[in-house]
Amino acid sequence: MSLTRREFVIAGGAIGAALGGGIVAPVALTWERDRSGEVVAVTARFPEVRVARWPELAVGETTAFDYPAEGQPNLAVRIGRPVEHGVGPERDLVAFSSTCTHMGCPLEEYRADTATLGPCPCHFTTFDLAADGIPSFGQATQHLSRVLLRLDGDDVVAFGVRRPIYGHADPLYGVGVRVLEST
Amino acid sequence: MNAATVPIPPADATRSTTCCEYCPVACGYVAYTWPLGRDGGPAASDNALGRDLPVGPLAGGWISENMHAVVHVDGEPRNCVVLPDPDATVVNVGGEHSVRGGALARKLYRPDGPTSDRLTTPLLRVDGALVPVPWDLALDLVAGLSRHVVDEHGPLAWGMKIYSYEFFENTYAASKLALASIVTPNWSPHHAPAEGDDVPGLSDAGIDAFGAAFADDRAAEVILVAGSDPYETKSVRFTQWQSAGGSRLVVVDPRRTFTAAWAEANGGLHLQLNPGTDACLYAAIVRDVLEHGWYDHAFVRDHTATRAQIDAEPKWRRARFGRTREELLDELRTEPDFSLTGAARVTGVPSEKIREAALLLSGGTGPQPRTSVLFEKGVYWTHNYENTAAIADLGLVLGATGREGRATARMGGHQRGGVKAASYPHDLSPHSVDGHPVEMDTERWLVEGNTRLRWVVGTNWLGATAGTSALRRRVAELTSIGRPVERADLKHAMTRLRERIDAGGMVLVHQETYPNDSTRYADLVLPAATWGEEDFTRANAERRVRIYQRFMDPPGDARPDWWIFAQVGRRMGYDGFEWPDADAVATEAIPRTAGSRKDCAVLVEVARTSGRRVHDVLAEAGTTGFQAPLGLDGDTITETTRLHADLRFKTASGLANFVHVDWDAVKRRNRVLAPRAELGEVWVLNGRINALWNNLSDYVRRPLAMERWPANLLEINPADARRWGLAAGDLVAIENAEVLDHVGNTTSGGFTAVAYPTDVVPPGVTFTYFLYPGSEANDVVAADTSLQPLNLRYPFKLGRGTVRRLGRAPGIDGMSFAPRNLVPSSDHGGHDHGN
Repeated sequence: MSLTRREFVIAGGAIGAALGGGIVAPVALTWERDRSGEVVAVTARFPEVRVARWPELAVGETTAFDYPAEGQPNLAVRIGRPVEHGVGPERDLVAFSSTCTHMGCPLEEYRADTATLGPCPCHFTTFDLAADGIPSFGQATQHLSRVLLRLDGDDVVAFGVRRPIYGHADPLYGVGVRVLEST
Repeated sequence: MNAATVPIPPADATRSTTCCEYCPVACGYVAYTWPLGRDGGPAASDNALGRDLPVGPLAGGWISENMHAVVHVDGEPRNCVVLPDPDATVVNVGGEHSVRGGALARKLYRPDGPTSDRLTTPLLRVDGALVPVPWDLALDLVAGLSRHVVDEHGPLAWGMKIYSYEFFENTYAASKLALASIVTPNWSPHHAPAEGDDVPGLSDAGIDAFGAAFADDRAAEVILVAGSDPYETKSVRFTQWQSAGGSRLVVVDPRRTFTAAWAEANGGLHLQLNPGTDACLYAAIVRDVLEHGWYDHAFVRDHTATRAQIDAEPKWRRARFGRTREELLDELRTEPDFSLTGAARVTGVPSEKIREAALLLSGGTGPQPRTSVLFEKGVYWTHNYENTAAIADLGLVLGATGREGRATARMGGHQRGGVKAASYPHDLSPHSVDGHPVEMDTERWLVEGNTRLRWVVGTNWLGATAGTSALRRRVAELTSIGRPVERADLKHAMTRLRERIDAGGMVLVHQETYPNDSTRYADLVLPAATWGEEDFTRANAERRVRIYQRFMDPPGDARPDWWIFAQVGRRMGYDGFEWPDADAVATEAIPRTAGSRKDCAVLVEVARTSGRRVHDVLAEAGTTGFQAPLGLDGDTITETTRLHADLRFKTASGLANFVHVDWDAVKRRNRVLAPRAELGEVWVLNGRINALWNNLSDYVRRPLAMERWPANLLEINPADARRWGLAAGDLVAIENAEVLDHVGNTTSGGFTAVAYPTDVVPPGVTFTYFLYPGSEANDVVAADTSLQPLNLRYPFKLGRGTVRRLGRAPGIDGMSFAPRNLVPSSDHGGHDHGN
């Protein structure tokens, strides 16, 4: 079967949803864009998956999990200081795809002293997890895909990703892609 | 851009072949364009990639968010993906790429994004402001003023400063105007005050600077990497051909770069020498190798010249500085600094490490390894002649030439796109050394008031030249003499600008893609169409000739440079500027490559006999192209993997010769250039960093590049940072109170940058990006070419200055200060590409 993303379009909606008590929490969606890159249509909704327990996360130690589909590996880590897009009481918890955005090799070396992931074993790109996953050195042409997280009690919940994941044109859609069920 | 999706080119997307615009490796790329709203799908049958998405590791064919843009094709908006060719079989096999080329799509013009400030129409300075004018007015003005200057003030008063590399078609057309029609020696490349050979010592030895093939890097067992950081500046050559080949690297660099750290972690060496002492280090290694008999005896015996043969050389420099092995060894032995202990004292590299390098490179008494000697600007943008002579001597004792895995060569700074319509007219140059003509120092000539019209093409001259601010002040004077142009009227402008020229002033014409520091002083601005907007031809650092196809519209009224030169040539009354299109220029230019390392003249013959256009012949060869020099065997085009394969050299005798290293000249120059500890000065080295390219003309419009580098950096050793009270993110002023300007007067220079504490640099040495806009690193560099009279080159890499804190740097929130020389820990290394 041949699908294009356009056939996959569902009605566009607000990015954000009201929860009880009038709090607006982000809801992650993937989008159709117009020629200027602006979002014009919502195409799919990310699953909401419990990926870790906050009390079990120690500063400087990584926790691996797949998201949003099977075989899409990520690392969650507490940086140990407040960082851009950090969540949790210390605003220091972030999670990024651990697939290098250069050519798709696995990133395995997290260095807590520099908050860097890498160098990639293939072509040596290093990413700064304290600076939104930017390639701080090397050949990758984009930031690491960042997993959107929120705390639900002690549960760390993944609810979307920002930026393409290596290998994919769409993280939720492709040959053999099996999106995780919400938990 | 923050969505998680990228568009997929459909199976029927238009496919164009090109190469990366930037570094000399020139990875192959494909550009896909297709109508908006007609994206392909993830199944291989539904996309132009021919691959199921998602793709796996190292598969090639993934489109990152920075590989896509929306452009205009024939006036219509189109999706455009510029992708490292996943099917490439040479250079970047399998679609490997750097951060620079990988994000090429972000450089493309769009009227509603960061690239919207492209120059789109000719501009004339009227009452101090640049205003749009029609092409006819601009071209008539340039041609009329040029004719006036040439007729009334002579050809030497008409000058052109132009990129040496921006495609065969453009450099040919420019040189046809300047060198073949006007016939002026007032012609210099983007990077130097004078035309001429960048590596004279190597040339005097008879070695071609671009003889190596990338395959030689992989075949080499040992590579000396001198004055270059290939990972950062020639990335795919490093990742695909050097590190992946298992070569042991001997890295010579004052900085502990990624490449240096990688070398030491992988069986190689880092010789962390004091700046300005390169020649001593190489000479000491050569002496050690010769004294111990570790040199390539057969090669030296059979392929280097005798004294009588050197004396018979017609080239004066070679005859004067050429040496036999015996003569060279005698000279090296009489210089105490060239002993291991002397060299250790001078260079700061321990004598045991120099010995270790000599053994590694030569094999000692064991079998001789396949060794290559590769170098770049850290060698020749310092002590130009002496360093390149010492490098040549090292290459020759090792027999590092002409054979698989054995080369002595530049790694290259930019690609090789120069084709000249006529030779440089040495006889007309006003400058000489010891009675021998050398190319004109066009900056000195200009500062002295002799240039009445300068046409600057595709280079940020007034943001890049050594002694930057002194030159700007002089240009401001020369361009403000007399009454200004007050109306956008041809006759009026011609009169006013002629008055200025005749009163001793200068008219500045600037031909560019974006405004830059030079535009501020320009009387006329001509908008150029560039990469992706016209069919062009160029070679890379392994002499591979390929086409760079047009796949989108140029912005507004921008025109390719060759067209602009042709229009002015015709209006000046010269013949031979009637080309209808770029293919016609290529058809005329390519035969001029005959006999050169880029010799691809047979392509025109092949095109003619097969009834095709030469650009079509190249297009059919795609990203593979043809490795020059080319020949014909019947109907088959033959290629050349490496030069000197016959062990013949570019001398009258065909034999190579060693070259004298004038260490006294280096010491004298270092006394002028080196930092003075008593004044608190340190070295201010400069060079490239991975994520940026040259003057950032399109990088300042690439969001990822600006997020990573919102300001220029100054690498400072943590000990120096503590001493100066600096933290990461502080804005610092770098000041040199004594800079020799273009005519030898003492001036001052300075720039600002953001402190980046790192152990990449040792104490007493700082490093900055060389061409960051608004941060003129070359302002602390001497511009007096009398320091290097043999070859008029600036010692760009040997700046000095004091460092002073100004406060916290504004506008850099979120800038990463992560280390830039982390290598994989040993349990994560060992990647093999399997090709």
